[in-house]
Amino acid sequence: MKKVATPEYDIKDKLKYHVSALSTAAKEVVMPLNITTHYPRERRKWPDCFRGYILFDPERCISCFECSFVCPANAIWMKEAPSGRYYPTLDYGKCIFCHFCVDSCPGGALRSTKIHDVAYKNMDEMFTHTEEMIEPPEIIREDEGYVEYEIDKEDLTLKRTKGKDKLIVDVAPSQGVPMVSLCIDRGSCIACKVCEKVCESGAVSSLLDEAKMIIKMKIDSEKCTGCGLCVKECSMQILRLVRRE
Amino acid sequence: MIDINAVISMMMNNQVDIPLLQPLLKPMLEMPLVGYLIALVLWKPFFVLILMPGFATLGIMLLILPWIERKMVGRMQWRVGPREISPHTRGIIQLLADSLRFLFQEVIIHKDAHRSYFLQFPFLYFIPVLLPLLFINAGTAGNPLVPIVSDYGLQLMVALICLMPVFILGVGWASNNRFAFIGTVREAFLYFAYEIPFIIVVLAMIVLYGTSNTVGVVNAQSGVWWGIIQNPLAALTFFIAMVMATARLPFEIPEADQEVSFGPFVEYSGIAFGLAYVMGYEKMYVLSALMTMLFLGGGSGPVIPGLGELSYAIWFVLKTLIVLVVMANLRGVYPRYRLDQALKIGWGAMLILALVAVAWSLVMGVIL
Ligand code: SF4
Ligand code: SF4
Ligand code: SF4
Repeated sequence: MKKVATPEYDIKDKLKYHVSALSTAAKEVVMPLNITTHYPRERRKWPDCFRGYILFDPERCISCFECSFVCPANAIWMKEAPSGRYYPTLDYGKCIFCHFCVDSCPGGALRSTKIHDVAYKNMDEMFTHTEEMIEPPEIIREDEGYVEYEIDKEDLTLKRTKGKDKLIVDVAPSQGVPMVSLCIDRGSCIACKVCEKVCESGAVSSLLDEAKMIIKMKIDSEKCTGCGLCVKECSMQILRLVRRE
Repeated sequence: MIDINAVISMMMNNQVDIPLLQPLLKPMLEMPLVGYLIALVLWKPFFVLILMPGFATLGIMLLILPWIERKMVGRMQWRVGPREISPHTRGIIQLLADSLRFLFQEVIIHKDAHRSYFLQFPFLYFIPVLLPLLFINAGTAGNPLVPIVSDYGLQLMVALICLMPVFILGVGWASNNRFAFIGTVREAFLYFAYEIPFIIVVLAMIVLYGTSNTVGVVNAQSGVWWGIIQNPLAALTFFIAMVMATARLPFEIPEADQEVSFGPFVEYSGIAFGLAYVMGYEKMYVLSALMTMLFLGGGSGPVIPGLGELSYAIWFVLKTLIVLVVMANLRGVYPRYRLDQALKIGWGAMLILALVAVAWSLVMGVIL
């Protein structure tokens, strides 16, 4: 076994290190390199890709459940709206701000902001309903400037700028790729009607063919939003999501 | 029956001479009650012991020294230190705010603690802190400002200072808590490690000055021949012993926050904690005053015009403050030694340094 010995210093080295430590301290007292952000009077300027409070746009949501499927913390629950569609709710008591939900949202309904300082009175309040996710929370802005850290050759320096940093990022949410559900093997359909039950857009319909005494399923590609729920649920696994032409 | 006039005239014969205030004080001294009061305040022993550099200055130091320390160490570590309270004065009243908070906080005495000792020791600690100030000489050569002139002044001061750890041991014992016990034992270990070099160094200075009278000690440092120039080794050893004695970093072993969470004082809360918290600073102040007197020429310095003898006291307090600030700022520079390392330093390097300092003093005594 090889042992690492403690480094040997002679008295000259020791004196040198003492002097250097003390002189560095003295230098910092006279000319300190201050890196404290005086929050809330000023804020750190975060990059636009900051993973903060999540906003939701119901117009863009296709109720695909993707966000709630992907959430590793199980923070997103889908809740039925009066219209019969399902929209996400978000429990900030569980959320770990990985923003997988934002990244996976096909319609770009979820978007990130730079808001990171939200306070709640209790755990129940942290459960954010769909309606509360649409508008950003009320923020009392006391900041008169923002701070950026800059790394020059050896040290960190602060750059202070007057004015308020925009907390809602302007970056446009992803447009996604329009998809549509398509049956690839009609002969295997057993007409279980699962797709019809699961479709929130009313795009799947069934009609009875009196002559042949069978039920035919029909997907209306105009109504289909491409959420993929039927694809997931289909008992015979014959549905696919394909790009809309 | 004490003759009040005799007392007053005794005081009047031994007044701090402040030329600037003379025209103001003269008419006031003639008034009956106010005159007595002013005569008492300006009576040298009273002035030194109670006002400067005694009790009142100690009180002010306790209020601003932690602030200075926190501010400067903050700058060293790229922080800002206290600031939210009174930001325009850079948070100078932080300690006032802290003490207000201490005052209104509940003092909790847990049921295993020894109730009366637990509460008494932080108060009793003022005895060994204030009594050494009885012999302090804040004057210069030929112009002593000392409450009690005694031929054994230095020995008495050292004896009283050596009493201080006993109170800390008492605090730890009365707390009846495992962290307090560990901290107390560490304090006891350190106590012996620094106390012996400390006493030997003071001895070296007594040998060098040929007297242990505090008046004689300052007289021996006339001009630029301060103690630190006559015997730098002794000054260095004294300083290290002082840092160890006050349990400051790098020797903050008994209180080590991260290991024993403030050691002997872990059970204190409220105003009792406030008192326990300033115990260290009180000791720092007394030891720095002793260092100023022994090594930095007491109150010697250019006379500030118009202030007369008051300027000596001011110089004395300034020097003490500088020593205090240097000592406090070691916190931002050094990490903490382990107990065994500190003991090795105490019983090894420091003891040797102290003995060499005695030899140096003997040689210097022969030369001079
Ligand atoms: S950010 Fe991550 S943890 Fe939070 S809701 Fe979205 S997917 Fe779940
Ligand atoms: S992933 Fe986007 S579109 Fe799908 S349900 Fe969630 S918010 Fe709606
Ligand atoms: S048909 Fe399938 S993919 Fe299209 S909206 Fe209905 S459930 Fe979603």
